[in-house]
Amino acid sequence: MAERVEVRQNVLKENDRIAGTLREAFEARQILCLNLISSPGAGKTSILEGTLEALRATPLRVAVVTGDIQTERDADRLRGYGFPALQITTGGTCHLDASMVQRSLNELPLSGLDVLFIENVGNLVCPASYDLGEDAKVVVLSVAEGDDKPLKYPGIFRRARLMLLHKIDLLPHTRFNRDAAVADARRVNPEIEVVETSCVAEPGLGAWIRWIEERLADKRRAGRPART
Amino acid sequence: MHELSIAQSIVDSAREHAALNGGRRVLRVGVRVGEISGVAVEALEFCFGMTVKDTDLDGATLDLERIPVRFRCAACAHEFHPVEFLTDCPACGWTGASMIAGDELGLSFLELE
Repeated sequence: MAERVEVRQNVLKENDRIAGTLREAFEARQILCLNLISSPGAGKTSILEGTLEALRATPLRVAVVTGDIQTERDADRLRGYGFPALQITTGGTCHLDASMVQRSLNELPLSGLDVLFIENVGNLVCPASYDLGEDAKVVVLSVAEGDDKPLKYPGIFRRARLMLLHKIDLLPHTRFNRDAAVADARRVNPEIEVVETSCVAEPGLGAWIRWIEERLADKRRAGRPART
Repeated sequence: MHELSIAQSIVDSAREHAALNGGRRVLRVGVRVGEISGVAVEALEFCFGMTVKDTDLDGATLDLERIPVRFRCAACAHEFHPVEFLTDCPACGWTGASMIAGDELGLSFLELE
C-alpha cells in the first residue's frame, strides 16, 4: 500500500549546501561577497569596470567572477583594471549556481581578498533562486528599462538588499518614473536600499563605492578577526 | 529556463528520501511552488517527466502545490492576497503588511509504494 512521507526541504538543498560552504569560506577570510543581478544590458559589467577603476585607488583587494552563457568578453573587459577576473561560461544555463562559483574559485585564490563580486547571467528571474553564498544580492535596474520591473519580477527585488538605479543621468530623456520604481521595489521589499548610479555622468559611482566599503566594515565589525 | 536543474534537484532529493525509507518505489512527489519563486510550473512538469524517464522514478507523478503570495497586516493581523504587492490592508487600511508566503520552493511529501 502506498504511504505518504512528509518531507520539508528546500528543493535547492544541494545548491544551498554548497552555498553554505562558500559562505563559510568568505566568512573565515572576512571577504564581502556581492552578487550582481539584472536584465541583459542594464549595465552590470560597466558598473564593475567603474568600480574596479575606483577601487584601484584604495587599499582594497577585489576580484570578479562573471557569468555568461557564451564568450570570455566580460572577463576580458574586467581584467584591464589590475584585479583578477574569471569568466564562467554556463553554456546555456540562465543563471549561476553555487557549484559553478565553487569550481571557479579553484582558479581564483580567495587569500588576501577584501571583496568578491559575482556578476550573474543577465536575467531577472532564475538567478534570484540560487544562493551563491553572497552577503547581499544587488539588483541593477537601469532607467532605460521599464519602471514596473519591481512588480513584474518581484522575486529578485524581494531578495535583493540593494537596488542600483542605474544610468540615472538618462532620466530626463526617458519616461521612467523614479519615485514609482522605488515605491514599487519597497512594496515588494520594505528593507531594500536604493543607490543611484551612472558610469558616464553625475552622480557617478561614489555612493555605490561607499555602500561597498560600509558593508565590508559592517562585516568586519561583526565578524572574527581576519585570518588568511 | 532553470526548471531542468530544479527538476533534477527534486528527483535527487526524492531518490535520497526513498532510499532512507527502505528503497521503495516513488509514486508521487509533492512540491510547493510559491507564486514568486520564479519557477514556471508547466516547464517544471515537462522537465520532471524528462528527468525521470527510464530511471527508477519513471512513472512517478509530480504533485505541484502553488502557493499564492500572502501578506499579513502588522496592525490587525489580517491576512490577504495583495494586488501588485500593495501593502494596504483591506481590513483596516494600515499600510504596514509584510509578506508571509509566496516565495517557497520546497519538497513537501513523497508517496512511496
